[in-house]
Amino acid sequence: MPPPVQVQGLTKSYGDFQALKGIDFEVHAGEVFALLGPNGAGKTTTVEILEGLRPRTGGSASVLGFDPETQKQALKDRIGVCLQDTNLPDKIKVAEALTLFGDFYERRVDEDNLLKRLQLWEKRDVFYAHLSGGQKQRLALALALINDPQVLFLDEPSTGLDPQARLEIHALVQDLRVERRTILLTTHYIEEAEKLCDRVAIVDEGRIVAIGTPREIQARTMGHSTIEVLCEKPVPEGELPIWTGSERVALSADRHSISVTSRHPGKTLVELVKWLDERGIELADVHLKRPTLEDAFIELTGKRLRE
Amino acid sequence: MKAFFALFRIDMKLALRERSLIFFGYMFPLLFFFGFAEFLHADRGGAINYVVSMVLTMGILGNGLWGAGMRAVQEREANILRRFKVTPITPTPILLASMVTGWLLYLPAVGLVLMLARTMYGMAPLAHPVSLFAMVSLGVMAFRAIGLIVASVVNTMQETNIAVQLIYMPMMFLSGATIPITVLPPSVQTFSQFLPASYLVTGFQGIFLRSETLAQNWAPALAMLVTIATGTFISTQLFRWEKGEKTRKSAKLWLLAVMAPFLAMGA
Repeated sequence: MPPPVQVQGLTKSYGDFQALKGIDFEVHAGEVFALLGPNGAGKTTTVEILEGLRPRTGGSASVLGFDPETQKQALKDRIGVCLQDTNLPDKIKVAEALTLFGDFYERRVDEDNLLKRLQLWEKRDVFYAHLSGGQKQRLALALALINDPQVLFLDEPSTGLDPQARLEIHALVQDLRVERRTILLTTHYIEEAEKLCDRVAIVDEGRIVAIGTPREIQARTMGHSTIEVLCEKPVPEGELPIWTGSERVALSADRHSISVTSRHPGKTLVELVKWLDERGIELADVHLKRPTLEDAFIELTGKRLRE
Repeated sequence: MKAFFALFRIDMKLALRERSLIFFGYMFPLLFFFGFAEFLHADRGGAINYVVSMVLTMGILGNGLWGAGMRAVQEREANILRRFKVTPITPTPILLASMVTGWLLYLPAVGLVLMLARTMYGMAPLAHPVSLFAMVSLGVMAFRAIGLIVASVVNTMQETNIAVQLIYMPMMFLSGATIPITVLPPSVQTFSQFLPASYLVTGFQGIFLRSETLAQNWAPALAMLVTIATGTFISTQLFRWEKGEKTRKSAKLWLLAVMAPFLAMGA
């Protein structure tokens, strides 16, 4: 069975500006896949082409076997979409919105169950204008699920939400992941991609610069694990040794703290602790900082995500 | 059809929840009604028929151009239509629901004006109420279609205000809706023959002043009917879901198509 989402050589130009410069990826059935990148990287343009919202300039795209450009209506009936920056009329009630959108599709799920599942049951008679940001986003997710879609597109699902509301949205996406729905989400939050996704594509300036599981991408920067050791008493005068795998060693001015960057942090740590023990120095604290997806992003693109 | 009925139901609910509907939909026409009735001494010599014809024309112009046009642009500006764009629906049920809602909500205003005209200013019973109902219906639908086209070609609320004023004002003052056409200079009288509102005024004057039927007013009725058909078709072609979508310059030429019946009849 072909993957539900297939993209090859996708390009998009606005006049002289090339927003997408040849994007290739696939999203497999039941997978949560993220396009991760800073604002303006081309994430939203990519998903909007796949949702049938805008035409592509070149390349090919297929969602559930439909061409998003020529089979829009059939495609839209089968997918769920949670867009960035959309609204509903201020005076529509939560339950009314679900009923309205349910009538646009061939297939629909039970609205009451959906409201309960998304913790909106108590708010079913509340006007849209009176909902909090998190509740509006939950309603947006409910509308995206009203037709029981096989593929879900979530464009920056937690942007602009407070931490509590963001956690609620993450929990909902994790529930959907358990149901083995195919989800393509865009985000510029590293932790969101790490927490929710099976695979991630890092997008920068209209290109995919890395693709794989978060662990695979992090592994590319394994040389940058950092060990930080805080000692009970100052390290004696003299040069520090070169432990296995260590690349850069730094001692604090008060000689209480050692920072070691290592390609093999496990081996380095063992040798470091042994070295300190031989000198009768007790450890007050130890930190092993693994490289994050953000480190990988910086290494791959030379810029921070929120730039 | 399922989408149309769903949109129509929600459009009705949303409209009835707006306090502005009571003011602009019902209070505003009454203000004009009483103002013109008193100013023109409507209780004498059948002037009330002229006043009612005038107030209904103004109401229909407002309902169509301001009601349909402004609301469509507001929904596009607020990214509401963008949410609809990701569903399988087309523009047609959205536009039809807007037209039918505007028509239904305007009918009580017509009833109210007629009742007050009869009870307070002694207007004679209508000879052909069905013809009036038909002409009102055609008028509302035609001007809502024009309003929806305006909404499709303008880009912002500011542009909408300017565009609607540019259409509304000439139709108000040069079509015979407020100032009798006979007192206008000959060149303006010729110009008014090209205004859609002139045909609505002619239709109403036939029904109110000369007790004619719709059949006897076939020309204005046909003009409204053609406007509804071409206007609805064109607004589906020009429909824009998102504020970022700009109108193609060539698309604005479609506007000439909706003016075609009036250009033909005026000529």
